[in-house]
Amino acid sequence: MLVPYLIVGAILFTLGVIGFMTRKNLIIIFLCTELMFQGIVVTLVALGRYPVAGMPTLDGQVFALFLLAVAASEAALALALVILLYRHKPTLDANAWKLLKEE
Amino acid sequence: MSGLLVTMLLTLGAAGVYLAMPRGRSHVTGLAMILVAGLAVAGIAGLLSNLGVSSGTFSGFTMFGALAVLSAVRVITHERAVYSALYFILTIISTTALLLLMRAEFLAIALIIIYAGAILVTYVFVIMLAQQGGAVPAFDKQAREPLVGVILGFVLLSTLASRFFQPSGAAAAETVKQSGGSVEVGTHLMTQYVVGVELAGVLLLAAMVGAIALARRKAPPLAEREIDAC
Repeated sequence: MLVPYLIVGAILFTLGVIGFMTRKNLIIIFLCTELMFQGIVVTLVALGRYPVAGMPTLDGQVFALFLLAVAASEAALALALVILLYRHKPTLDANAWKLLKEE
Repeated sequence: MSGLLVTMLLTLGAAGVYLAMPRGRSHVTGLAMILVAGLAVAGIAGLLSNLGVSSGTFSGFTMFGALAVLSAVRVITHERAVYSALYFILTIISTTALLLLMRAEFLAIALIIIYAGAILVTYVFVIMLAQQGGAVPAFDKQAREPLVGVILGFVLLSTLASRFFQPSGAAAAETVKQSGGSVEVGTHLMTQYVVGVELAGVLLLAAMVGAIALARRKAPPLAEREIDAC
């Protein structure tokens, strides 16, 4: 029962990577990082519950909890950056910021 | 499940995601979603039957796994950012159901509270602040290099999947311990990983201070000149 959970986690992670590479909206790009976090949470919990070698541990769940803290920090800082960028130029287009300098 | 079959499933899934990507006028979302849905259900059900798991017991896994994958596809392909955020809430709820199937109750409830309750509300708030009005902006209607992105993503996925299906791998241990409740997780967290808990608290505090400091900063007058020039 480990492999199906790993597959679902890998699919979620991959979809997050694809969205991160292909979308142009800044908010959707950050949403795709959250999608990658979801895949990793599924993978961590599955590896804790159905370990490849050895007894099941709770380390997977504990790491996933720390990952939630990191995800919350990342969301807060990323959205603050988006608001800051939006005050410079009123658009969410990532291509508007491709030069990374003030013209 | 043979390697050729997995490769074919992954290729069809890549084609479905590519068709569902916003590409100006010519994308066919409905057909692509039917393709991806059929593949998700068929792939997961075939995976379970191939691993010798009885299909009746794990229909919950099939349903919620397919739902998570489908709503994740809609997150990355929907034109409107608000709908992407709402589909992401559906992904979170499906993931929570998967965690409940693995008996991770505390983490499941924490995921709903933190993600759907806190993080997604912040996202929707910023979307409301930044994208008012009914029209979909042009940069949301056209994905950036969808073919290259989908091909790279599914190369990554097939690499991962080929690791999973190696015979020496995961099928060895199927031990299931009936634990993982909130009491055990809390004890584990507060004894073995108590330094990590403190560090997570410091990280959250630093992120809060940083977010307030960033969002309170006034835009420099250069931006106003730029807007006037446009």
